Amino acid sequence: MLDLIRIELYKIFKKWRTYIGFIALGVLIPLIHIAMVLEGQSTINFMTRNIQESFVFVGNLLNTYLISYIILTSLAVHIPFLITLVAGDLLAGEATAGTYRLLITRPISRTRLIMSKFIAGLIYTNLLILWLAFLSLIVGYFIFGSGELLIIDGQMIIIFERNDVLWRFILAYGFATLGMTAVASLAFLFSSLVENSIGPIISTMAIIIVFLILSAIQVDFFQDLKPYLFTTHIMSWRLFFENPLDLKEIFNSASNLIIHIIVFFGLTLFIFNRKDILT
Amino acid sequence: MNEQIKVIEIENLNKSFKNLVAVDDLSLTVYKGDVFGFLGPNGAGKSTTIRMLLTLIKPDSGSIKIFGKDLQKERLDILKNVGSIVEKPDFYGYLSAYKNLEILGRISGINVNKNLIMKNLELVGLASRYKSKVKTFSHGMKQRLGIAQALLHNPELIILDEPTTGLDPMGMKEIRDLIIQLSKEFKKTIFLSSHLLNEVEMVANRMIIINKGKTKVEGEVKELLNKNKLSVAFEVENGELTFSVIKDSRWIVFMKSHINNNFEFNLDSKEIPLLNKYLVENGVMINSIIPKRSLEEYFLSITNEASNA
Amino acid sequence: MLLILLVFLFVNINAQSTDPNEIVRAVLNKFSQVRDYEVDIDIKVDVEFLKVPDARAKLYFKQPDKVKLKSEGFALLPKDGIDFSPSSIIKGNYTAIFERREIIGEFPTSVIKIVPINENTSVILNTVWIDDKSNIIRKVETTTKTQGTYTIELFYDNEFKYPLPKQMIFSFNVDKMNLPQTFTNTTPKSNRKKFKDGPILGKVYVNYSNFKVNKNLSDTIFENDKE
Repeated sequence: MLDLIRIELYKIFKKWRTYIGFIALGVLIPLIHIAMVLEGQSTINFMTRNIQESFVFVGNLLNTYLISYIILTSLAVHIPFLITLVAGDLLAGEATAGTYRLLITRPISRTRLIMSKFIAGLIYTNLLILWLAFLSLIVGYFIFGSGELLIIDGQMIIIFERNDVLWRFILAYGFATLGMTAVASLAFLFSSLVENSIGPIISTMAIIIVFLILSAIQVDFFQDLKPYLFTTHIMSWRLFFENPLDLKEIFNSASNLIIHIIVFFGLTLFIFNRKDILT
Repeated sequence: MNEQIKVIEIENLNKSFKNLVAVDDLSLTVYKGDVFGFLGPNGAGKSTTIRMLLTLIKPDSGSIKIFGKDLQKERLDILKNVGSIVEKPDFYGYLSAYKNLEILGRISGINVNKNLIMKNLELVGLASRYKSKVKTFSHGMKQRLGIAQALLHNPELIILDEPTTGLDPMGMKEIRDLIIQLSKEFKKTIFLSSHLLNEVEMVANRMIIINKGKTKVEGEVKELLNKNKLSVAFEVENGELTFSVIKDSRWIVFMKSHINNNFEFNLDSKEIPLLNKYLVENGVMINSIIPKRSLEEYFLSITNEASNA
Repeated sequence: MLLILLVFLFVNINAQSTDPNEIVRAVLNKFSQVRDYEVDIDIKVDVEFLKVPDARAKLYFKQPDKVKLKSEGFALLPKDGIDFSPSSIIKGNYTAIFERREIIGEFPTSVIKIVPINENTSVILNTVWIDDKSNIIRKVETTTKTQGTYTIELFYDNEFKYPLPKQMIFSFNVDKMNLPQTFTNTTPKSNRKKFKDGPILGKVYVNYSNFKVNKNLSDTIFENDKE
């Protein structure tokens, strides 16, 4: 099994598309950094406009934490694109290339094949988030230094002590990975259904976009539906930037995502084990 | 010959796609050491059958046993000993020939080493290109790489699905020679599908012809294609006279058809002069005698039918 | 200098004056012995919409009204609570009115209303509770044109020779803030806290320790830097 995963990873990282995600983040995040060097202070001023009226404050609010938070907030919607690029290709890519025939005629079970591909996809997802974390937190640290994290949470301004932030980011990145895994599972499911990798990428993104739009419509029916949509919970990494932590809510979101992952993956297994390979 | 070991046993195999019946109650047996020709026109159900043999497709009904084991139940065990090419040879184009073989070998669970891979690449004449990405390969090279990957794990049974398709005559000959070598030298059992009768005739010892998913002819290639068994067309001056001459003779049982002045007989080659003599002696004027191999003719007819359909 | 000090002490002990200007002057005079100081402060913010960690900072003061807040980490003080010096509370032209006597805690005080005459100031009215025994301000209530009303309560260490407090409690009323919605947390919580309408009471507690008084602080400390 380990060897199968290693082979799948080798295949993933021999493909050009795999690097699109890494390159995209590698370009985008430094751009955000540059923008923050130039405009960061006015962003802070904008965010703290109201407290500036009544308060005097000192401290480095324009720090790597704030910027990492802004990056995570801004990119969390777009990273799924990068994830599906690879996850949607995992199975469909073999169909397109005709290499299903090479794989499935070998003495391995389809279940193991699916699992190794899925795990390889998860590793890719993790690496992409790690890369995101590295670029935002660590590279950001060398540009902006550390400091307290300022967050606007609904109608509240929360400032976290600098020593109280890193663990939140670690958990938030972990949670973001869980969310992206749900996205990857969906793309993987679609990937098992079709013979080209464009289909899964587009369908996954379409579903995410439709769900996000539904969630945004202020109609009771859609709002009632919202807690059940996995897209709602992709952004739940933010729950780690609350004081105190809402453990119940975190658990809810995590369970929702995990259930989605299990269902998507289970369906993939079920479908793929019965699939006639005609390509 | 009867105590031979059965390698593939297919019984009453069926597979339909929506409304199309691809394989219809197919049964066949391949023995150890056979080069088994699996012949049929395009769309006859050959690929579907091969995909079922390799578990790419699940049959609707019927049973497949390979090495005496049930394919459904002991799939992994069986596939360890089967090498195959299914349709056109596709590989990971972005990887080298070497890497492709390495990956496939590892998935097969064998101990792959450079020696083994290079040995197989040499066998198919690709050793010098082992580092090249497969996407730079010609169709023929991919076809040969396909054979290399089929042999990599030293399987007992090799299933080749139209391995000469798209090759030039030289390439076709190379592949045929390789098949003969695999059979004679390496004692492999080979299941070879083809839509070319002469190809099967050149390499196979036993064969089956299927059409529209059904078995049409099965047996020893030598017997089926025995040059003595011919379909002989006689064109005569006077059909009525000829028929009256034949009608009461022993030749009537050999007569296949009779349209006006054209007669067809299923004959041994030795009997052609005898029939000729009999007709002449009875006053029949013969314009021409054209012997045709019946199987070839039959195969040609179903192929035409398939390509016209 | 010493003489002046003694004279004032004498006056304060003996005369329970109700002349507001005198009382105020006595306070200002007493405070004038503090030319500058540097102090460690601990800030605790208790405001519903503002969750800020307890902060440690340094506060610098130089007469007449230079103040500077410095901290390695984040620290926040109410603008109006940063400088509690009498010279900044009572400045410009004003009219002082003696209101009543009142006991705050255990300390008898004179309640004096100070109405600025200058129209440019945002302060409408300062009510000051002056402990005229020690010539220190124990409480200030300020009504402003725009910022509502806030109260500063000052607590002193009796042993300390300078009229500088050990604790300040700054209380204020604020309207609900309209925060920019960019980068806002929108987790799927249905039970996200909603504040009731109307002003919200907030308190900031500041503890002062380790006063370093009259060390001739350089002006450069008070210059604006990027820190």
